[in-house]
Amino acid sequence: MTEPKQRNVKFVHPIEEAFVKILNFYGIAWEYEPKTFALSRDENGVITEAFTPDFFLPEQNMFIELTTLRPQLIRHKNRKLRRIKELYPEVNIKLLKRSDLRDLMIKYEMYDLAEPITGTAAQAASAQQSQQVASADAALEEPDVPEQKDEQ
Amino acid sequence: MALDELTRDPVSSVRQVLFTEQQIHERISALATEISRDYAGREPILIGVLKGVFVFMADLARRLTIPLEIDFMAVSSYSGATRDRGMVRIIKDLDCSITGRDVLFVEDVVDTGLTLNYLLRNLRSRGPASIEVCALFDKPGRRLIGLPIAYRGFKIPDKFIVGYGLDHREHHRNLPYVGLLKPDQLHPERDSGQAG
Repeated sequence: MTEPKQRNVKFVHPIEEAFVKILNFYGIAWEYEPKTFALSRDENGVITEAFTPDFFLPEQNMFIELTTLRPQLIRHKNRKLRRIKELYPEVNIKLLKRSDLRDLMIKYEMYDLAEPITGTAAQAASAQQSQQVASADAALEEPDVPEQKDEQ
Repeated sequence: MALDELTRDPVSSVRQVLFTEQQIHERISALATEISRDYAGREPILIGVLKGVFVFMADLARRLTIPLEIDFMAVSSYSGATRDRGMVRIIKDLDCSITGRDVLFVEDVVDTGLTLNYLLRNLRSRGPASIEVCALFDKPGRRLIGLPIAYRGFKIPDKFIVGYGLDHREHHRNLPYVGLLKPDQLHPERDSGQAG
């Protein structure tokens, strides 16, 4: 079995670290952001849009993306996930949404992490995170992308 | 009625019956017929993880028409003080060897699949002839780890259910049916997860 712990990993979000602790507890091997998928290229073949899922579980051959954004704020992420499925149909990728993560944190009694993605206090944090994600995405995304309905 | 009192009153705590006693028994009988046919000529050992599985195990075993053995395990879950101990601990191991045996792993409810995945890996390392999973309730919407479930009773939505062995704070296991608790019974800061 692959060693389930990666050393010296700097996680972007505390919920990623909490997720890893659960995986480690149950002996699930994982890799953090091991692969970036090119989603579009310009006429010179230079990547103009890409996506890096948070985790890869080698034993399950599955990528996992975590998001604490509210459903109405994850349009960019959903669009990229749909694009990955179009371009790389062989890739198995699962999105753990805000509600999934909240339930997971509550299930494992990590209330301090569940609370910020449960109550109203989370809304401001989510909006701020959303703006940061949108700003980062805007640098890579092509203009005039038609808005698509979020996956539920 | 006080909340604490409601929690201990199994009937008034349930807002909706999802599966009646008869529906559960009919489904288990169908599963037992299928398992008895598939294991004809063999003598499997049925393994369950305490506590939630004890009712299902008893009813399933009594409907099987093949010779069999039964054993139980208990494991720690990732909660409270146990999370600081690093990994899952087997609190109660099997009493018998499964080397060379046909194992039927019996589960009450499967959701994330994390515990089941750990246990199946553990059991496979003991060299059984085969391992299959029989789950009465399956919550595929919560699955993190893909697992093959050979025998499935019911697919259910991602709701907290009680009865037929499944508890809410150790209560309601004795209900003969499976239902949803009333909202005032569930404490959102504690009750999202379903443990067997």
